[in-house]
Amino acid sequence: MHRAGQAMALALVASAILLLREAVRLPVAWTPTGPGAGFFPTVLAIGLAFNAILILLKSLQAAPGGDRPFLPPGAWKPLVAAFLPMVAVVALIDYLGLYLGGALYLAGYTLFVGRHRPVTIVLVSVLIPLGLFLIFERWFLLLLPKGVILEYLLYRR
Amino acid sequence: MSVFSDLLYGLGVALTPVNMGVAVVGLVLGTAIGVLPGLGGTNGIALLLPLTFTLKPTSAIILLASVYWGAIFGGAITAILFNIPGEPWSVATTFDGYPLAKQGKPGIALTAAFTSSFIGALVSIVLFTFFAPPLADLALRFGPPENFAVFLLAFATFAGLGGGDPAKTILMTLLGLLLATVGFDIVTGQPRMHFGVVALQGGINFVVIAIGLFGLGEILLTVEEGLRLEGIRARLGFRDVWETWRLFPRYVTTLVRATILGFWIGVLPGTGATPASFMSYGMARQFSRHPERFGKGEVEGVVAPETAAHAAGIGALLPMVTLGIPGSPTAAVMLAGFFIWGLNPGALLFKEQREFVWGLIGSMYTANLIGVLLVLTLVPVFAAINRIPFGILAPLIVIFSSIGAYATNNQILDLWLMLGAGVAGYLFKKLDYPLAPLVVALVLGDMTEQALRQSLIMGQGSPAIFFTRPIALLFILASVVLFLLPAYRALRRGKNPGGQAAAGAADRT
Repeated sequence: MHRAGQAMALALVASAILLLREAVRLPVAWTPTGPGAGFFPTVLAIGLAFNAILILLKSLQAAPGGDRPFLPPGAWKPLVAAFLPMVAVVALIDYLGLYLGGALYLAGYTLFVGRHRPVTIVLVSVLIPLGLFLIFERWFLLLLPKGVILEYLLYRR
Repeated sequence: MSVFSDLLYGLGVALTPVNMGVAVVGLVLGTAIGVLPGLGGTNGIALLLPLTFTLKPTSAIILLASVYWGAIFGGAITAILFNIPGEPWSVATTFDGYPLAKQGKPGIALTAAFTSSFIGALVSIVLFTFFAPPLADLALRFGPPENFAVFLLAFATFAGLGGGDPAKTILMTLLGLLLATVGFDIVTGQPRMHFGVVALQGGINFVVIAIGLFGLGEILLTVEEGLRLEGIRARLGFRDVWETWRLFPRYVTTLVRATILGFWIGVLPGTGATPASFMSYGMARQFSRHPERFGKGEVEGVVAPETAAHAAGIGALLPMVTLGIPGSPTAAVMLAGFFIWGLNPGALLFKEQREFVWGLIGSMYTANLIGVLLVLTLVPVFAAINRIPFGILAPLIVIFSSIGAYATNNQILDLWLMLGAGVAGYLFKKLDYPLAPLVVALVLGDMTEQALRQSLIMGQGSPAIFFTRPIALLFILASVVLFLLPAYRALRRGKNPGGQAAAGAADRT
């Protein structure tokens, strides 16, 4: 856990520096319209850097021993099994749209991670995207990404 | 008395068929959200936000508020029957609720939880009704320096009362404010802090970040912990209800104490139902004549946290409606809705949006009454939701999260931002970085910066303006005290190692 804490603090210091660099590109000082656009971000980024360094120093001081691992043994497996499909579904939504992409994701997840019965898998991955389609596309008229295939099938675009 | 006529008007708005229907839908959804561990009120409300775009603002806020009340009721069901908090604010309810259920008295524990939750809510709503108008009147006289001082006070309460490492709390606040600066500058219109990414010029949407942090992050945490749900069967008969209600007169002091504590903690920005429930439980045990019974199935141990949690939930909306400052992360998501519905939160809301404000207040009365009847009668149905396996629930939450994140701005980039926020939320949570300050700071960022810059313009560049105006000075001094509080506590602890400060988990409310 100590290592992870140090890595996070280090990452925060780095982000603070990046943000500060981005902020000082803007007018920081007084302008005819009052404080410049970069004034507030610069102050914030300096504060962020200060606190991140403070946390980093504190984490380096942490007493050795008595540390627990960042992950309980074996916990990385279900974690990866949940996370990778999350990445996949965002990519899928980008190309196939929410309904088809969502259906594929639901089917894949219930099959490989949840290991449900085939009936459950089919019901979940067909009925839910269909229900969502009716709710958003038909009743609430909120247009969600449909992807190339569904766009073509529905609107011949 | 104009408050009474306003209230009657508000009740009239709340009692229209549309708003009643919306409240019932919100309560059912909210209770389901509350029952399900891994799906919280904050995230649930963020997910429902897109559905409110097509509603009138009044109905929209009633829907979201009802989800909040439902979630507060629902959290107790899972806590008592499954010994797993359905919501963070029901952690303290598990301490005595589950032992009661195991002793064969789940009906008593559930009735006690719902009833005290309702009483805490009702008394707080009355307090709300009478506190809100004068507070809004006061806020009307605020100029930019006062507004900035109030925002500063909001951030200071996180650092001073949030518990945990103050450096981490302040860091998360600054990070939230920085994320809010991404996009066009509010004064000059200059694009800034976008790192050359064109899509970021539109700014970082608060709802997207909240869904990632609280939705996806929570799934990853739940998966890692390996959730096991084995519950006690719920039965709730008239006899249980009657038997529990007969016990209630002896808890009057606890109820009063818990309500006042909860309401006050809820009003304070940054804290919410979760710390309120813990503190109330601790207080009840301290004042009890039989502290040894706590943790073994004491009804009072259910009454105290539930009363305070719901009182805090109501209280959290008071600064949101009157000052435009969310009292909890859940309120922050609702506040984000205000902007989307085209309303300006803050003092003018009371003057200009009478239907919205009083409709919301009226609906607090009606929705909480419907809510308590709903949960009392439908406990077995709601408890059955937990039979949905997590292997189906988790991907469903991901799909709903994606819809919620996309629909606010209609851009795919937001889905990737949500994913990033999910990973960050998971890591932050594991490493004890509080999420609540980041979320509230992100919502308040633009208004804070505007207030600060306008104040400096008024003072011609001199920050002295914050110290020469009495109300602003008062808030600034209070903020300084709050910022210094953790240091003071650390000093005292150094001198007196036995005296541990009670640090509440001021997060995920």
